[in-house]
Amino acid sequence: MSVFTLNDIEKIISVMTEVILKNEVAFCELDSAAGDGDFGMSLAKGFNELKKEWASLERTDIGGFIRSCGGVIAEYCGGASGPIWGGGFKASGKYAAEKKTLSLYEFAEMLGAAADGIMKRGGAKPGDKTLLDALVPAVDALKAAAASGADVKTALKKGAEAAVNGAEATKNMIASRGRASYVGERSISYPDAGAAALGVIFTKIADAF
Amino acid sequence: MKKIINSPENLVPEMCEGIVKANPSLEFLPKYKVIKRKDLNPDKVALISGGGSGHEPAHAGFVGYGMLDAAVCGDVFASPSSVQVYNAIKAVKSTKGTLLIVKNYSGDCMNFDAAKEDAKDDGIDVESVYVNDDIAVKDSLYTIGRRGVAGTVFVHKTAGAAAEDGKSLAEVKAAAEKAIANVRSIGFALTSCTVPAKGTPTFSVGEGDIEYGVGIHGEPGIARQPLQSSDALAEKMTAALLADLKISSDTEIAVMVNGFGGSPLQELYLFYNSVTKFLPDYLRIHKVYIGNYMTSIDMAGASLTFFKLDAELKKYLDAETKTAAFK
Repeated sequence: MSVFTLNDIEKIISVMTEVILKNEVAFCELDSAAGDGDFGMSLAKGFNELKKEWASLERTDIGGFIRSCGGVIAEYCGGASGPIWGGGFKASGKYAAEKKTLSLYEFAEMLGAAADGIMKRGGAKPGDKTLLDALVPAVDALKAAAASGADVKTALKKGAEAAVNGAEATKNMIASRGRASYVGERSISYPDAGAAALGVIFTKIADAF
Repeated sequence: MKKIINSPENLVPEMCEGIVKANPSLEFLPKYKVIKRKDLNPDKVALISGGGSGHEPAHAGFVGYGMLDAAVCGDVFASPSSVQVYNAIKAVKSTKGTLLIVKNYSGDCMNFDAAKEDAKDDGIDVESVYVNDDIAVKDSLYTIGRRGVAGTVFVHKTAGAAAEDGKSLAEVKAAAEKAIANVRSIGFALTSCTVPAKGTPTFSVGEGDIEYGVGIHGEPGIARQPLQSSDALAEKMTAALLADLKISSDTEIAVMVNGFGGSPLQELYLFYNSVTKFLPDYLRIHKVYIGNYMTSIDMAGASLTFFKLDAELKKYLDAETKTAAFK
Protein backbone atom coordinates (compact mmCIF):
# COMPACT_ATOMS: atom_id res chain seq x y z
CA MET A 1 0.00 0.00 0.00
CA SER A 2 1.24 3.50 -0.80
CA VAL A 3 -1.59 5.81 0.28
CA PHE A 4 -3.76 6.14 3.38
CA THR A 5 -7.52 5.96 2.88
CA LEU A 6 -10.17 7.01 5.40
CA ASN A 7 -10.32 3.33 6.36
CA ASP A 8 -6.63 3.32 7.22
CA ILE A 9 -6.96 6.50 9.28
CA GLU A 10 -9.91 4.96 11.14
CA LYS A 11 -7.77 1.90 11.82
CA ILE A 12 -4.92 4.08 13.15
CA ILE A 13 -7.16 6.05 15.50
CA SER A 14 -8.91 2.88 16.58
CA VAL A 15 -5.56 1.24 17.49
CA MET A 16 -4.56 4.45 19.27
CA THR A 17 -7.82 4.38 21.26
CA GLU A 18 -7.32 0.75 22.32
CA VAL A 19 -3.71 1.42 23.39
CA ILE A 20 -4.77 4.42 25.48
CA LEU A 21 -7.63 2.55 27.16
CA LYS A 22 -5.47 -0.52 27.84
CA ASN A 23 -2.61 1.54 29.29
CA GLU A 24 -4.64 3.90 31.48
CA VAL A 25 -2.94 2.85 34.73
CA ALA A 26 0.52 2.48 33.14
CA PHE A 27 0.32 6.01 31.72
CA CYS A 28 -0.77 7.37 35.12
CA GLU A 29 2.29 5.75 36.66
CA LEU A 30 4.54 7.40 34.09
CA ASP A 31 3.10 10.72 35.25
CA SER A 32 3.53 10.00 38.97
CA ALA A 33 7.31 10.23 38.90
CA ALA A 34 7.42 13.98 38.38
CA GLY A 35 3.85 15.01 37.57
CA ASP A 36 0.59 14.51 39.40
CA GLY A 37 -0.28 11.02 38.20
CA ASP A 38 -3.50 11.62 36.31
CA PHE A 39 -2.29 11.63 32.71
CA GLY A 40 -3.51 8.13 31.78
CA MET A 41 -6.90 8.77 33.28
CA SER A 42 -7.40 12.15 31.58
CA LEU A 43 -6.44 10.69 28.22
CA ALA A 44 -8.57 7.56 28.66
CA LYS A 45 -11.59 9.64 29.52
CA GLY A 46 -11.52 11.38 26.14
CA PHE A 47 -10.76 8.26 24.11
CA ASN A 48 -13.37 6.28 25.97
CA GLU A 49 -15.94 8.85 24.87
CA LEU A 50 -14.49 8.69 21.34
CA LYS A 51 -15.10 4.94 21.34
CA LYS A 52 -18.69 5.50 22.49
CA GLU A 53 -19.35 8.06 19.75
CA TRP A 54 -17.34 6.14 17.13
CA ALA A 55 -20.32 5.17 14.94
CA SER A 56 -21.68 8.71 14.75
CA LEU A 57 -18.44 10.54 13.86
CA GLU A 58 -18.30 12.48 10.60
CA ARG A 59 -16.93 10.37 7.73
CA THR A 60 -17.18 12.53 4.61
CA ASP A 61 -13.40 12.74 4.25
CA ILE A 62 -10.20 12.22 6.25
CA GLY A 63 -10.03 15.80 7.53
CA GLY A 64 -13.65 15.81 8.67
CA PHE A 65 -13.23 12.50 10.47
CA ILE A 66 -10.09 13.60 12.34
CA ARG A 67 -11.65 16.95 13.21
CA SER A 68 -14.71 15.32 14.67
CA CYS A 69 -12.45 13.02 16.74
CA GLY A 70 -10.64 16.17 17.95
CA GLY A 71 -13.90 17.75 19.09
CA VAL A 72 -14.72 14.77 21.31
CA ILE A 73 -11.18 14.58 22.69
CA ALA A 74 -11.04 18.32 23.45
CA GLU A 75 -14.34 18.15 25.30
CA TYR A 76 -13.83 14.96 27.28
CA CYS A 77 -10.10 14.63 28.02
CA GLY A 78 -9.45 16.28 31.34
CA GLY A 79 -6.80 18.79 32.26
CA ALA A 80 -4.14 19.83 29.80
CA SER A 81 -4.69 16.71 27.68
CA GLY A 82 -7.94 18.05 26.18
CA PRO A 83 -6.48 21.16 24.55
CA ILE A 84 -3.21 19.43 23.66
CA TRP A 85 -4.45 16.15 22.15
CA GLY A 86 -7.71 17.69 20.91
CA GLY A 87 -5.74 20.62 19.47
CA GLY A 88 -3.36 18.21 17.71
CA PHE A 89 -6.28 16.32 16.17
CA LYS A 90 -7.98 19.53 15.09
CA ALA A 91 -4.81 20.85 13.42
CA SER A 92 -4.36 17.50 11.61
CA GLY A 93 -7.98 17.57 10.52
CA LYS A 94 -7.53 21.03 9.11
CA TYR A 95 -4.48 19.89 7.13
CA ALA A 96 -6.39 16.91 5.72
CA ALA A 97 -9.59 18.86 4.99
CA GLU A 98 -11.58 17.37 2.10
CA LYS A 99 -8.89 14.77 1.36
CA LYS A 100 -10.02 11.24 0.51
CA THR A 101 -6.49 9.83 0.51
CA LEU A 102 -3.10 10.85 1.89
CA SER A 103 0.29 9.96 0.46
CA LEU A 104 2.91 8.82 2.94
CA TYR A 105 4.54 12.25 2.77
CA GLU A 106 1.19 13.99 3.29
CA PHE A 107 0.54 11.71 6.26
CA ALA A 108 3.86 12.85 7.76
CA GLU A 109 3.01 16.48 7.04
CA MET A 110 -0.36 16.02 8.70
CA LEU A 111 1.35 14.84 11.90
CA GLY A 112 3.68 17.82 11.55
CA ALA A 113 0.61 20.06 11.49
CA ALA A 114 -0.49 18.39 14.74
CA ALA A 115 2.90 19.20 16.30
CA ASP A 116 2.60 22.83 15.16
CA GLY A 117 -0.93 23.06 16.57
CA ILE A 118 0.23 21.66 19.92
CA MET A 119 3.17 24.09 20.06
CA LYS A 120 0.85 26.99 19.36
CA ARG A 121 -1.68 25.90 21.99
CA GLY A 122 0.68 25.05 24.81
CA GLY A 123 3.64 27.32 24.09
CA ALA A 124 6.10 24.42 24.30
CA LYS A 125 8.85 23.55 21.84
CA PRO A 126 11.02 20.47 21.29
CA GLY A 127 13.46 20.06 24.18
CA ASP A 128 10.95 21.18 26.84
CA LYS A 129 10.34 17.55 27.88
CA THR A 130 6.87 17.17 26.42
CA LEU A 131 5.19 14.83 23.94
CA LEU A 132 6.66 17.01 21.17
CA ASP A 133 9.99 15.31 21.85
CA ALA A 134 8.50 12.06 20.55
CA LEU A 135 6.15 13.53 17.95
CA VAL A 136 8.60 15.79 16.10
CA PRO A 137 11.28 13.07 15.59
CA ALA A 138 8.52 10.69 14.41
CA VAL A 139 7.37 13.26 11.84
CA ASP A 140 10.96 13.74 10.63
CA ALA A 141 11.54 9.98 10.36
CA LEU A 142 8.27 9.50 8.44
CA LYS A 143 9.19 12.29 6.04
CA ALA A 144 12.68 10.82 5.48
CA ALA A 145 11.19 7.36 4.89
CA ALA A 146 8.66 8.79 2.43
CA ALA A 147 11.42 10.66 0.57
CA SER A 148 13.46 7.46 0.27
CA GLY A 149 10.51 5.63 -1.26
CA ALA A 150 9.86 3.34 1.71
CA ASP A 151 6.54 1.50 1.93
CA VAL A 152 3.98 2.39 4.59
CA LYS A 153 4.86 -0.46 6.93
CA THR A 154 8.59 0.36 6.89
CA ALA A 155 7.91 4.08 7.29
CA LEU A 156 5.57 3.56 10.25
CA LYS A 157 8.17 1.34 11.87
CA LYS A 158 10.84 4.05 11.42
CA GLY A 159 8.46 6.65 12.80
CA ALA A 160 7.71 4.47 15.84
CA GLU A 161 11.40 3.91 16.52
CA ALA A 162 12.05 7.64 16.35
CA ALA A 163 9.17 8.30 18.78
CA VAL A 164 10.46 5.69 21.25
CA ASN A 165 14.01 7.06 21.03
CA GLY A 166 12.70 10.60 21.38
CA ALA A 167 10.78 9.62 24.51
CA GLU A 168 13.86 7.92 25.92
CA ALA A 169 15.88 11.10 25.35
CA THR A 170 13.43 13.10 27.51
CA LYS A 171 14.91 11.31 30.54
CA ASN A 172 17.86 13.68 30.35
CA MET A 173 15.74 16.81 30.04
CA ILE A 174 14.45 19.16 32.73
CA ALA A 175 10.73 19.81 32.38
CA SER A 176 9.81 23.43 31.73
CA ARG A 177 6.10 22.96 30.91
CA GLY A 178 3.25 21.33 32.77
CA ARG A 179 3.22 20.19 36.37
CA ALA A 180 6.47 18.25 36.05
CA SER A 181 8.18 21.64 35.66
CA TYR A 182 7.50 22.46 39.32
CA VAL A 183 10.02 19.86 40.47
CA GLY A 184 12.71 21.21 38.12
CA GLU A 185 15.80 19.04 38.25
CA ARG A 186 13.95 16.33 40.12
CA SER A 187 12.27 15.48 36.81
CA ILE A 188 15.61 14.25 35.42
CA SER A 189 15.92 10.48 34.83
CA TYR A 190 12.17 10.07 34.30
CA PRO A 191 10.82 10.20 30.72
CA ASP A 192 8.04 12.63 29.90
CA ALA A 193 4.75 10.77 30.26
CA GLY A 194 3.21 12.16 27.06
CA ALA A 195 6.30 11.37 24.98
CA ALA A 196 6.56 7.85 26.42
CA ALA A 197 2.86 7.24 25.69
CA LEU A 198 3.31 8.40 22.08
CA GLY A 199 6.20 5.92 21.72
CA VAL A 200 3.88 3.09 22.79
CA ILE A 201 1.05 4.32 20.57
CA PHE A 202 3.23 4.66 17.44
CA THR A 203 4.73 1.20 18.04
CA LYS A 204 1.30 -0.45 18.21
CA ILE A 205 0.13 1.42 15.11
CA ALA A 206 3.19 0.22 13.17
CA ASP A 207 2.50 -3.35 14.36
CA ALA A 208 -1.05 -3.12 13.01
CA PHE A 209 0.05 -2.52 9.40
CA MET B 1 -6.91 2.97 50.69
CA LYS B 2 -10.40 3.26 52.16
CA LYS B 3 -12.66 6.08 50.90
CA ILE B 4 -16.29 7.06 51.46
CA ILE B 5 -17.34 6.43 47.89
CA ASN B 6 -19.79 4.64 45.60
CA SER B 7 -17.69 4.51 42.45
CA PRO B 8 -14.68 6.62 41.42
CA GLU B 9 -16.34 7.61 38.11
CA ASN B 10 -19.28 9.26 39.88
CA LEU B 11 -17.28 10.92 42.64
CA VAL B 12 -17.35 14.46 41.24
CA PRO B 13 -21.06 14.65 40.26
CA GLU B 14 -22.17 12.97 43.50
CA MET B 15 -20.02 15.38 45.53
CA CYS B 16 -21.48 18.35 43.62
CA GLU B 17 -25.02 17.11 44.28
CA GLY B 18 -24.13 16.95 47.98
CA ILE B 19 -22.78 20.50 47.96
CA VAL B 20 -25.93 22.00 46.44
CA LYS B 21 -28.27 19.91 48.61
CA ALA B 22 -26.44 21.19 51.69
CA ASN B 23 -26.48 24.78 50.38
CA PRO B 24 -29.89 25.61 48.94
CA SER B 25 -28.72 28.96 47.54
CA LEU B 26 -26.60 27.02 45.03
CA GLU B 27 -27.56 25.17 41.86
CA PHE B 28 -25.72 22.37 40.02
CA LEU B 29 -25.67 22.12 36.21
CA PRO B 30 -24.74 18.44 35.81
CA LYS B 31 -24.02 18.45 32.06
CA TYR B 32 -21.10 20.87 32.48
CA LYS B 33 -20.40 20.29 36.18
CA VAL B 34 -20.98 23.92 37.06
CA ILE B 35 -22.09 25.04 40.53
CA LYS B 36 -23.69 28.49 40.41
CA ARG B 37 -25.58 30.96 42.55
CA LYS B 38 -29.35 30.79 42.18
CA ASP B 39 -29.77 34.51 42.91
CA LEU B 40 -27.55 35.96 40.17
CA ASN B 41 -27.27 39.73 39.98
CA PRO B 42 -27.10 40.50 36.25
CA ASP B 43 -25.90 44.05 36.95
CA LYS B 44 -22.60 43.18 38.58
CA VAL B 45 -19.46 41.70 37.04
CA ALA B 46 -19.81 37.89 36.94
CA LEU B 47 -16.97 35.95 38.58
CA ILE B 48 -16.05 32.41 37.61
CA SER B 49 -13.32 30.18 38.94
CA GLY B 50 -12.77 26.47 38.96
CA GLY B 51 -10.24 23.82 38.24
CA GLY B 52 -9.72 20.21 39.04
CA SER B 53 -11.72 18.65 41.86
CA GLY B 54 -9.97 17.43 44.99
CA HIS B 55 -9.38 20.90 46.48
CA GLU B 56 -12.67 21.14 48.36
CA PRO B 57 -14.05 23.42 49.61
CA ALA B 58 -12.39 25.17 46.64
CA HIS B 59 -13.96 26.32 44.50
CA ALA B 60 -17.67 25.55 44.94
CA GLY B 61 -17.52 26.46 48.63
CA PHE B 62 -16.68 30.04 47.63
CA VAL B 63 -19.72 30.53 45.39
CA GLY B 64 -22.18 32.98 46.89
CA TYR B 65 -22.76 36.62 47.76
CA GLY B 66 -19.47 38.53 47.92
CA MET B 67 -17.36 35.93 46.15
CA LEU B 68 -17.92 33.76 43.04
CA ASP B 69 -20.98 33.39 40.82
CA ALA B 70 -19.95 30.01 39.48
CA ALA B 71 -17.34 27.29 39.97
CA VAL B 72 -16.52 24.87 37.16
CA CYS B 73 -15.55 21.42 38.41
CA GLY B 74 -13.06 19.29 36.50
CA ASP B 75 -12.23 15.70 37.32
CA VAL B 76 -9.94 15.06 40.24
CA PHE B 77 -6.86 17.26 39.73
CA ALA B 78 -7.69 17.89 36.06
CA SER B 79 -8.81 21.20 34.62
CA PRO B 80 -12.38 21.38 33.36
CA SER B 81 -12.62 21.42 29.56
CA SER B 82 -13.02 24.64 27.61
CA VAL B 83 -16.57 23.51 26.75
CA GLN B 84 -17.44 23.35 30.46
CA VAL B 85 -15.94 26.78 31.14
CA TYR B 86 -17.65 28.31 28.09
CA ASN B 87 -21.02 27.04 29.31
CA ALA B 88 -20.37 28.44 32.78
CA ILE B 89 -19.67 31.84 31.19
CA LYS B 90 -22.99 31.64 29.37
CA ALA B 91 -24.86 30.45 32.47
CA VAL B 92 -23.88 33.44 34.64
CA LYS B 93 -23.60 36.13 31.95
CA SER B 94 -24.03 39.69 33.21
CA THR B 95 -24.43 43.12 31.66
CA LYS B 96 -21.08 44.18 33.12
CA GLY B 97 -18.98 41.33 31.73
CA THR B 98 -17.25 38.31 33.25
CA LEU B 99 -13.93 37.80 35.02
CA LEU B 100 -12.30 34.35 35.07
CA ILE B 101 -10.05 33.68 38.06
CA VAL B 102 -7.64 30.98 36.94
CA LYS B 103 -4.97 29.19 38.96
CA ASN B 104 -1.75 29.29 36.94
CA TYR B 105 -1.42 25.73 35.60
CA SER B 106 -0.87 24.72 31.97
CA GLY B 107 -4.16 22.85 31.65
CA ASP B 108 -6.30 25.44 33.42
CA CYS B 109 -4.79 28.31 31.42
CA MET B 110 -5.31 26.57 28.08
CA ASN B 111 -8.91 25.56 28.80
CA PHE B 112 -10.00 28.86 30.38
CA ASP B 113 -8.28 30.85 27.60
CA ALA B 114 -9.96 28.78 24.87
CA ALA B 115 -13.35 29.29 26.58
CA LYS B 116 -12.68 33.02 26.86
CA GLU B 117 -11.97 33.24 23.12
CA ASP B 118 -15.15 31.30 22.29
CA ALA B 119 -17.24 33.53 24.56
CA LYS B 120 -15.70 36.68 23.09
CA ASP B 121 -16.69 35.40 19.63
CA ASP B 122 -20.25 35.35 20.97
CA GLY B 123 -19.92 39.00 21.99
CA ILE B 124 -19.55 38.35 25.73
CA ASP B 125 -17.07 40.64 27.48
CA VAL B 126 -14.64 38.30 29.29
CA GLU B 127 -11.35 38.99 31.05
CA SER B 128 -9.11 36.69 33.06
CA VAL B 129 -6.55 36.82 35.85
CA TYR B 130 -4.03 34.12 36.77
CA VAL B 131 -3.19 33.44 40.40
CA ASN B 132 0.45 32.47 41.06
CA ASP B 133 1.03 32.75 44.81
CA ASP B 134 3.22 29.68 45.41
CA ILE B 135 6.78 30.83 46.11
CA ALA B 136 8.10 27.25 46.00
CA VAL B 137 8.16 27.43 42.22
CA LYS B 138 10.78 29.45 40.46
CA ASP B 139 9.34 32.15 38.27
CA SER B 140 11.27 32.61 35.07
CA LEU B 141 10.75 33.41 31.43
CA TYR B 142 11.55 29.81 30.54
CA THR B 143 8.93 28.10 32.67
CA ILE B 144 5.19 28.36 33.07
CA GLY B 145 5.80 30.28 36.27
CA ARG B 146 4.48 29.94 39.78
CA ARG B 147 1.35 27.96 40.47
CA GLY B 148 -1.86 29.12 42.12
CA VAL B 149 -2.58 27.64 45.55
CA ALA B 150 -4.40 28.74 48.74
CA GLY B 151 -3.90 32.46 48.08
CA THR B 152 -6.52 32.09 45.36
CA VAL B 153 -9.19 32.30 48.06
CA PHE B 154 -8.14 35.88 48.87
CA VAL B 155 -8.34 36.73 45.16
CA HIS B 156 -11.91 35.37 45.05
CA LYS B 157 -12.73 37.48 48.10
CA THR B 158 -11.19 40.68 46.73
CA ALA B 159 -12.74 40.40 43.27
CA GLY B 160 -16.05 39.32 44.77
CA ALA B 161 -16.29 42.34 47.04
CA ALA B 162 -15.27 44.71 44.23
CA ALA B 163 -17.93 43.19 41.96
CA GLU B 164 -20.66 43.49 44.63
CA ASP B 165 -19.54 47.11 45.04
CA GLY B 166 -20.71 47.72 41.47
CA LYS B 167 -17.26 48.19 39.99
CA SER B 168 -16.66 47.81 36.23
CA LEU B 169 -15.00 44.76 34.69
CA ALA B 170 -11.70 46.67 34.35
CA GLU B 171 -11.87 47.79 37.99
CA VAL B 172 -12.70 44.31 39.29
CA LYS B 173 -9.84 42.87 37.22
CA ALA B 174 -7.47 45.51 38.61
CA ALA B 175 -8.55 44.69 42.17
CA ALA B 176 -7.98 40.96 41.54
CA GLU B 177 -4.55 41.67 40.09
CA LYS B 178 -3.67 43.80 43.07
CA ALA B 179 -4.62 40.92 45.36
CA ILE B 180 -2.50 38.53 43.26
CA ALA B 181 0.48 40.87 43.51
CA ASN B 182 0.20 40.92 47.30
CA VAL B 183 -0.46 37.29 48.21
CA ARG B 184 2.16 34.55 48.67
CA SER B 185 2.04 30.96 49.92
CA ILE B 186 4.35 28.06 50.70
CA GLY B 187 3.40 24.52 51.72
CA PHE B 188 4.73 21.20 52.94
CA ALA B 189 3.36 17.66 52.93
CA LEU B 190 3.82 14.89 55.48
CA THR B 191 2.12 12.31 53.26
CA SER B 192 0.98 12.02 49.66
CA CYS B 193 -2.65 12.17 48.64
CA THR B 194 -4.50 9.25 47.07
CA VAL B 195 -6.44 9.95 43.87
CA PRO B 196 -9.61 7.80 44.12
CA ALA B 197 -9.40 6.44 40.56
CA LYS B 198 -5.83 5.30 41.16
CA GLY B 199 -6.31 4.03 44.70
CA THR B 200 -2.67 4.29 45.76
CA PRO B 201 -0.64 7.30 46.97
CA THR B 202 0.74 9.52 44.17
CA PHE B 203 4.20 9.72 45.73
CA SER B 204 5.82 7.94 48.63
CA VAL B 205 7.36 9.79 51.52
CA GLY B 206 9.01 7.89 54.34
CA GLU B 207 8.08 8.15 58.04
CA GLY B 208 11.13 10.32 58.66
CA ASP B 209 10.69 12.69 55.70
CA ILE B 210 8.53 15.53 54.40
CA GLU B 211 8.08 17.16 50.99
CA TYR B 212 8.83 20.86 51.25
CA GLY B 213 7.47 23.35 48.72
CA VAL B 214 4.71 20.98 47.68
CA GLY B 215 1.78 21.80 45.40
CA ILE B 216 -1.86 20.84 45.76
CA HIS B 217 -2.07 17.96 43.27
CA GLY B 218 0.24 15.38 44.75
CA GLU B 219 3.05 16.63 42.57
CA PRO B 220 6.27 16.29 44.55
CA GLY B 221 7.70 19.36 46.26
CA ILE B 222 10.92 21.19 45.51
CA ALA B 223 12.87 19.18 48.08
CA ARG B 224 12.65 16.10 50.24
CA GLN B 225 13.63 17.06 53.78
CA PRO B 226 13.87 15.27 57.10
CA LEU B 227 10.81 15.54 59.35
CA GLN B 228 11.14 18.64 61.52
CA SER B 229 9.31 20.44 64.30
CA SER B 230 6.40 22.80 63.71
CA ASP B 231 8.58 25.68 64.96
CA ALA B 232 11.36 24.86 62.50
CA LEU B 233 8.93 24.77 59.58
CA ALA B 234 7.18 27.97 60.71
CA GLU B 235 10.45 29.85 61.04
CA LYS B 236 11.61 28.88 57.56
CA MET B 237 8.24 29.51 55.88
CA THR B 238 7.59 32.83 57.62
CA ALA B 239 11.01 34.14 56.63
CA ALA B 240 10.54 33.00 53.01
CA LEU B 241 7.14 34.70 52.69
CA LEU B 242 8.28 37.97 54.27
CA ALA B 243 11.31 38.06 51.98
CA ASP B 244 9.27 37.36 48.86
CA LEU B 245 6.69 40.00 49.78
CA LYS B 246 9.56 42.40 50.60
CA ILE B 247 8.06 43.16 53.99
CA SER B 248 10.61 44.82 56.27
CA SER B 249 8.72 47.57 58.01
CA ASP B 250 5.28 48.46 59.41
CA THR B 251 2.80 46.36 57.39
CA GLU B 252 -0.64 44.89 57.90
CA ILE B 253 -1.39 41.36 56.67
CA ALA B 254 -4.01 38.63 56.73
CA VAL B 255 -2.74 35.13 57.44
CA MET B 256 -4.09 31.78 56.30
CA VAL B 257 -2.98 28.43 57.64
CA ASN B 258 -4.53 26.09 55.12
CA GLY B 259 -4.80 22.37 55.76
CA PHE B 260 -4.30 20.03 52.82
CA GLY B 261 -7.11 17.70 53.92
CA GLY B 262 -5.33 15.12 56.04
CA SER B 263 -4.09 17.20 58.96
CA PRO B 264 -6.31 17.77 62.00
CA LEU B 265 -7.24 21.28 63.11
CA GLN B 266 -5.27 20.84 66.33
CA GLU B 267 -2.09 20.67 64.26
CA LEU B 268 -3.10 23.68 62.16
CA TYR B 269 -3.71 25.77 65.30
CA LEU B 270 -0.44 24.53 66.79
CA PHE B 271 1.34 25.49 63.58
CA TYR B 272 -0.19 28.98 63.70
CA ASN B 273 1.12 29.32 67.24
CA SER B 274 4.56 28.47 65.86
CA VAL B 275 4.17 31.07 63.11
CA THR B 276 3.40 33.82 65.65
CA LYS B 277 6.77 33.20 67.33
CA PHE B 278 8.58 34.34 64.20
CA LEU B 279 6.53 37.37 63.18
CA PRO B 280 8.44 40.63 63.50
CA ASP B 281 7.01 43.28 65.85
CA TYR B 282 6.28 45.70 63.02
CA LEU B 283 3.88 43.25 61.39
CA ARG B 284 0.22 43.78 62.27
CA ILE B 285 -2.19 40.85 61.84
CA HIS B 286 -5.59 42.03 60.63
CA LYS B 287 -7.30 38.64 60.29
CA VAL B 288 -6.38 34.98 60.60
CA TYR B 289 -7.97 32.08 58.72
CA ILE B 290 -7.27 28.54 59.89
CA GLY B 291 -8.81 25.49 58.27
CA ASN B 292 -9.20 23.57 55.06
CA TYR B 293 -9.63 26.05 52.21
CA MET B 294 -7.57 24.61 49.34
CA THR B 295 -7.00 20.94 49.95
CA SER B 296 -5.20 18.18 48.15
CA ILE B 297 -7.75 15.41 48.85
CA ASP B 298 -6.35 13.61 51.91
CA MET B 299 -2.76 14.86 51.95
CA ALA B 300 -1.38 15.58 55.42
CA GLY B 301 0.38 18.92 55.61
CA ALA B 302 -0.40 22.60 55.36
CA SER B 303 0.38 25.80 53.57
CA LEU B 304 0.97 29.25 54.97
CA THR B 305 -0.32 32.30 53.12
CA PHE B 306 0.44 35.98 53.80
CA PHE B 307 -1.81 38.59 52.19
CA LYS B 308 -0.35 42.09 52.35
CA LEU B 309 -3.10 44.66 52.89
CA ASP B 310 -3.67 48.30 52.10
CA ALA B 311 -6.86 50.28 52.75
CA GLU B 312 -8.57 49.02 49.59
CA LEU B 313 -7.71 45.33 50.02
CA LYS B 314 -8.64 45.53 53.70
CA LYS B 315 -12.04 47.00 52.84
CA TYR B 316 -12.70 44.17 50.36
CA LEU B 317 -11.50 41.52 52.82
CA ASP B 318 -13.85 42.88 55.47
CA ALA B 319 -16.88 43.18 53.16
CA GLU B 320 -19.84 40.90 53.75
CA THR B 321 -19.67 37.38 52.29
CA LYS B 322 -22.25 34.61 52.29
CA THR B 323 -20.65 31.40 51.10
CA ALA B 324 -20.45 27.87 52.43
CA ALA B 325 -16.75 27.90 53.19
CA PHE B 326 -15.58 31.47 53.75
CA LYS B 327 -17.05 33.85 56.30
